[in-house]
Amino acid sequence: MANLYLIDQPFGGNGLALAQHDDEAIIVLIQDGVNLDVSTLGNGHKPVYAVKKDLERRGLTDQAARSVKPIDFGELVDLIVGHKVINFA
Amino acid sequence: MGQRHVLVTFNHAPYGSIYYTEGLRAAVGVTSGVDEHTVDVLYLGEGVRFALRDVDRRDSARYLATLASFGAKLKVEREALAERGIEEADLAEDVEVIDRRQALELVRRADLTIDF
Repeated sequence: MANLYLIDQPFGGNGLALAQHDDEAIIVLIQDGVNLDVSTLGNGHKPVYAVKKDLERRGLTDQAARSVKPIDFGELVDLIVGHKVINFA
Repeated sequence: MGQRHVLVTFNHAPYGSIYYTEGLRAAVGVTSGVDEHTVDVLYLGEGVRFALRDVDRRDSARYLATLASFGAKLKVEREALAERGIEEADLAEDVEVIDRRQALELVRRADLTIDF
């Protein structure tokens, strides 16, 4: 089962550092985690999601990296239920 | 539920919050049930400051002693130490320094993780 890294501030950087070395990592940015730079993960090599509502509230919908896929809460729940969650939120 | 292997990660620096000691209490709790879960304790980011030799452990000593009796070792990420200029010579004797890839192995091995 792939590891799902749930990333928020202030400790999301610790999670991204681990995820960078995890070939099967799936990353979900939530709340202030959507502000984090995920370019260190290698654009497109690991699936990176961000909660759509958290992007919208912070005015980041258009600024989010092209490699980041916005998801709604239902999709977030599906990801959490379907994977082993490594929580940094 | 059956026996599980649990990874408890610490991201908060010691003091100023309850996380660094409550996390240890939770780690002890994990091992205490009838299912005899096993636990790894991993310090990341600012959490590695707990590994310093001179940190006041009066409020966490009992938890640490219990974990030690189970053979659970406190593990600290080397990269997080280096990023903060902390020398390994300044760490307590009961901590084990591991690199980020070894930390990732702990993540992989765990059935679930709990963060503090």
